[in-house]
Amino acid sequence: MSLSAIIVMLGSMVVLWGVANSALIVSMRRQERKLALIQSQGGFEPFSPRAFQDLQQWCDQHSDHANIAEVEALLQQQEEAMKAYPQRFY
Amino acid sequence: MTIKSQGGPGSSAEPTIAREQWGSRFGYLMAVVGAMVGAGNIWRMPYVTGENGGGAFLIAYFLLLYLIAVPGLMGETSLGRYTRQGLLGTFRQLFGRNRMVGLGLVILIFNIVLMSYYSSIVGWSLYYAFHALIGTFSQQDFDTAALWSAFNQNKLLNVGMHTLAMGIVSVILLFGIKGGIERMAKWMMPVLTIALVAIAIRGLTLPGAVAGLEFSFSPNWEYLMRGETWLAALGQALFSTGLGWGIALTYGSYLGRNDDIPLGGGIFTAVGNTSFGLLAVFAVFPIVFAFGISPTSGAELAFVALAKAFGGMSAGYLWSLLFFMGFLFANLTTAIAITEVGVTTYQEERQVPRQKAVLVMCAIIWVLGIPSALDSSILGYLDFVVGNWGLPLATFIIMLSIGWKFDARRLRLVSLNRGADMYVSWRWEPVVRYQIPLIMLGIMAYFLYSNLSTTPFKTLSGLVVLTLLIPGCMWWMRRHESSTSISTHWVEERS
Repeated sequence: MSLSAIIVMLGSMVVLWGVANSALIVSMRRQERKLALIQSQGGFEPFSPRAFQDLQQWCDQHSDHANIAEVEALLQQQEEAMKAYPQRFY
Repeated sequence: MTIKSQGGPGSSAEPTIAREQWGSRFGYLMAVVGAMVGAGNIWRMPYVTGENGGGAFLIAYFLLLYLIAVPGLMGETSLGRYTRQGLLGTFRQLFGRNRMVGLGLVILIFNIVLMSYYSSIVGWSLYYAFHALIGTFSQQDFDTAALWSAFNQNKLLNVGMHTLAMGIVSVILLFGIKGGIERMAKWMMPVLTIALVAIAIRGLTLPGAVAGLEFSFSPNWEYLMRGETWLAALGQALFSTGLGWGIALTYGSYLGRNDDIPLGGGIFTAVGNTSFGLLAVFAVFPIVFAFGISPTSGAELAFVALAKAFGGMSAGYLWSLLFFMGFLFANLTTAIAITEVGVTTYQEERQVPRQKAVLVMCAIIWVLGIPSALDSSILGYLDFVVGNWGLPLATFIIMLSIGWKFDARRLRLVSLNRGADMYVSWRWEPVVRYQIPLIMLGIMAYFLYSNLSTTPFKTLSGLVVLTLLIPGCMWWMRRHESSTSISTHWVEERS
């Protein structure tokens, strides 16, 4: 088997099997963490700090947008979760 | 367990039936990857890879997978999770009660037509799994070509296998999302993985097997300059991942509000699906080359060439059983997912119990699938029309609806990044808004250009059917929506 074929084969294994298995393991572990937080304190904050920042920025820039109420409600939900749940998921 | 919904923002404004949820994260991930892994991963990807420059094709494929399939699946799944409805309910939430809901009906019809002939393929794999079980292929000098030919000519048997396939799909779906789809996927997908790994290990120990790997992986760099290579990679990346057919949307609608989507519904689904394709390369082509079989794809590869090769191997009974059972599971999990799109939508639209929705939808698909079971040329024609026009159009409609009508930015902010295991930045938005719809248009234009001279009747008739289908569905849904609206007002006034 040629060296280039070996490199492509190994690279494909890493890019596909490596990524798929890592994604599966990380996803399962994070879900376990979420469930542990729900069991210990009743919930967790739904947005990461960056996602929360995006929501805030959007609200600041679109104060008269038709969907402002929806985004504001999400911001409020996040703030309430931050107050209610001392242990953070993100 | 998945995280149960607590309502709140992003909850549907439309009344919905009390909604079941996935029972576990592993179950959802297996179900969604099982939905995408089908016959194409096993009997098409190895051949397409080898024929299009091996390693060069894989590089093009990986690029397109990460640039298009992953972001597209993220969008479709998060739209389903946001609306928590099936196809028509989702389009109604996006466009309101008007004719545009007909676009959802167009996608639903593609799914039903796709399943009507895919059921025959499930039937073939059932028939071959049965033959593997009774040891047909391990007989001395067994003629697999004769078996395939006899099977094809036996119309009654084909209808019977189609009926059995739909029967199995119905029974699984009757048990619901958690008790049926998830429970099956949780053991079928690991069994498929183990089967392919075992066959790959056995195949690699055969003399001459390395030539199969050389054929598949040896990079032929000039292929990267050919448009055909990129188109083949694009076709494999899009159609193999099932992007835009409503499957990811439907499965996503059963996720909890704080469940992750980008990592599981996006990256794992797309890359995991392709990982099975890579596993098939290892499982199939070393055996094909070790037995001096001409590399090919499709039914001939699985049912004639590989069936013969397994018979020639020591412990051939075991290898043929593993392969055909794995192949059956791959097809069955896909068939379940395609049918579930119709079941979820029918249940919501007609407000009927799930059992009734399953039986009605499976009966419709069974009746529509009889012509394909009787005549393989009908199956080929439907596959041509749905594959060339239907599925790219469905993806085009869904991506445009996400990107422009719902607004990609809004979806990213309120749904995609909610409970996410990885942050999705603004760069995702132009991919959904521009990149995927434009590529879909390009694919349809290319199919028209390349098929018009070689198969003018099939190409033009498919185009005519689609051209009539869109306004027809929009007209039908406008009538349906206005009559529903009138009857709702009447009931409200009376009460």
